[in-house]
Amino acid sequence: MAAFISPALILFVLFVLVPVLFAAYTAFFRWNGLGGFPTDFVGLENFQTMLQDKVFLADLWRILLITILSIAVQLPMAFGLAMLLHQNFPGRTAFRLLFFVPYILTEAVTAVLFRLIFSPRRGFADAVLAGFGIDGIGWLSDKNIVIFVIFGILTWKFFGFHMILYLAGRQSIPEELYEAAKVDGATGKQLFRHITLPLMGPTLRITVFLSVIGTVQLFDLVYVLTKGGPFHASETLAITMYEQGFVRNQIGYASALSIAMFLLSLVFALIYQRYVLGRDLQGALTSSDGGRS
Amino acid sequence: MRNPLFRPRALVAAGTAAVLALGAAACGDSGESDADVTFWHIQNEDPMKSTWQALADEWSEESGQTVEVSAIAVEDFKTRLSTQTQAGDLPDLYNTWGGGVLAEQVEAGLVRDISGLPCLDKVNPIALESYTIDGKLYAIPFDQGVVGFWYNKDLFAQAGITDTPTTWAEFTEDVQTLKDAGITPIALGGGDKWPIHYYWTYLAMRLVGLDGLAAAAESGDFSGPGFVQAGQLLADLAAMEPFQEGFESATYGEADGEAAVMGEGLAAMELMGQWGPQVQRDASGTEGIGESLAFFPFPAVEGGPGTATEFLGGGGGFAAGADAPDEIEDFMCYLLEEQNQARVVKDGNMSTVAANPEAVLPEPNHEQQAVIDALATATDTQLYLDQAYPPSIGSTINDASQGLVLGELTPEDFVAMVNEAWAAEQ
Repeated sequence: MAAFISPALILFVLFVLVPVLFAAYTAFFRWNGLGGFPTDFVGLENFQTMLQDKVFLADLWRILLITILSIAVQLPMAFGLAMLLHQNFPGRTAFRLLFFVPYILTEAVTAVLFRLIFSPRRGFADAVLAGFGIDGIGWLSDKNIVIFVIFGILTWKFFGFHMILYLAGRQSIPEELYEAAKVDGATGKQLFRHITLPLMGPTLRITVFLSVIGTVQLFDLVYVLTKGGPFHASETLAITMYEQGFVRNQIGYASALSIAMFLLSLVFALIYQRYVLGRDLQGALTSSDGGRS
Repeated sequence: MRNPLFRPRALVAAGTAAVLALGAAACGDSGESDADVTFWHIQNEDPMKSTWQALADEWSEESGQTVEVSAIAVEDFKTRLSTQTQAGDLPDLYNTWGGGVLAEQVEAGLVRDISGLPCLDKVNPIALESYTIDGKLYAIPFDQGVVGFWYNKDLFAQAGITDTPTTWAEFTEDVQTLKDAGITPIALGGGDKWPIHYYWTYLAMRLVGLDGLAAAAESGDFSGPGFVQAGQLLADLAAMEPFQEGFESATYGEADGEAAVMGEGLAAMELMGQWGPQVQRDASGTEGIGESLAFFPFPAVEGGPGTATEFLGGGGGFAAGADAPDEIEDFMCYLLEEQNQARVVKDGNMSTVAANPEAVLPEPNHEQQAVIDALATATDTQLYLDQAYPPSIGSTINDASQGLVLGELTPEDFVAMVNEAWAAEQ
């Protein structure tokens, strides 16, 4: 067994563990990333700066906002569509394909596309509004709405992915269960409430997990779309880290930010696994029997 | 259960994997091409894109060295170069603006000292200043010029403005006049931040003078009243809403950005460097506004020691990475040959850096003439602050300029942010 794991283990140590530990180390230094190893030890200063950094705190707020919106809007929408597309009707394969297509585009291409659509002068979005006699909206330039526009684009891009997962989850439920329940006189509402929903539990829980982790790590789409602007209004944690590290050459501070991001993901993943995914993941790292099963 | 890790075959497998992994790590580090010389420039539009390529090909033919040319849009270039800087591996020949960014690369030992270049007599010594650090030269220039207002004469006339403004009060009055005439007074690529920093820098130059600016950079203290007032004047200008719709997220060079808005004649002016007219044509995909485009220097500000003959400026140059082959000096000299300088100046619509300008640019067009005239009247120049200062401070100034214009920061916040950045740099 170990012989098969060792190549992966070595790669993991070299390319994951070592960089993580090095980032944790540099987070305690003031360092511009140039000239050998960091030497200017500053203790916890970078972390103190971070906790007073308005941009960092606002990043956390935006992560929360997008997470809430995703769970409240994006996932239910994907779920509803999956249920709809599970029905038998002509052309349903075409619809499934169509809804999944946005997910295939890379994030950078998606961002370029939407930059054109939301372009202030002759973008498609403003042109459509003009058709209704409505003035243009500062889609990407108004600091109060840009984050919602980004959420809209994220939804457009990712609902198809969640939809496919739900569809797969729905299809794995044996039809016999429904037939048996119908024989017992169950209504459509009851079928959904007592068969579909509970049996899709594992799928629902894993999509929430993927959605949250994806939100914490959001970078490419937003960076290409707005660079986090106007004035940090759409900035994500990863963009803040990137700007500090590679634009301002503050590698020490950027490392502290990356540690924060890592811990955020890790703590969430552990808690979520332990308390929410627990029954789906018998035998995983955090299960109560220590993974013996 | 036997532990398979202690079996010889497993050990061999693990060892092989380790070697492979290390090999992969070693290869992964060098993103280098097979070419002898890698050359990164930022003129990613024709005609200049082809001109650099042609010059590289010709030299390659002559010298037997292979050259790989990468034309990269300016924002992407800055990003990629800073990643390369972190990796400690700069291209063999790459675009630079000199100043603090180049100095940081030099300090890290990543740049080749070219003080001994045999062909420096072909260059105007003034153009070498930005690239000279502690008495040593690290780059050759190909362009030198100034930042000022490029304006649309037709739109000014349409609003009834006959003379260009020479004071800030006149300037803001003209902005109001243009607005009243239904014309967008100013094009601004607010999303890119650096086009905004020109305004704050110029206002600071006028209000505290170049000496005051140098003293502030020396002490890292920008708290003086002049700096706060500079921020206030910029905030007041922004409050007049003189910029095109959507400027908050507009870039400088994209098809809906600052330069394109000017090139299509949709705004009356932009504060930009000598490359402005060319990018107006490139970004808008038009012929620009031709003879209607003219230039006036950033106006003087009442009560400040700075004069309108002090210019914010700089140019483009090429530095060589420390690992570049020795032939790179030959390539640099090839680029500096007068007939080659002439091609660059002509195709790129640049202002000349030649020791003998007539040999390179016998008949400047009206845009080049405007820059030449400005340089001729210049009593002093200041390099763009986002290049002159170390990256953390330059970026802070860019960022704070955006915050100020969007009303997110007060002039006092601005100064505090810059001071904080300097304090962190000490």
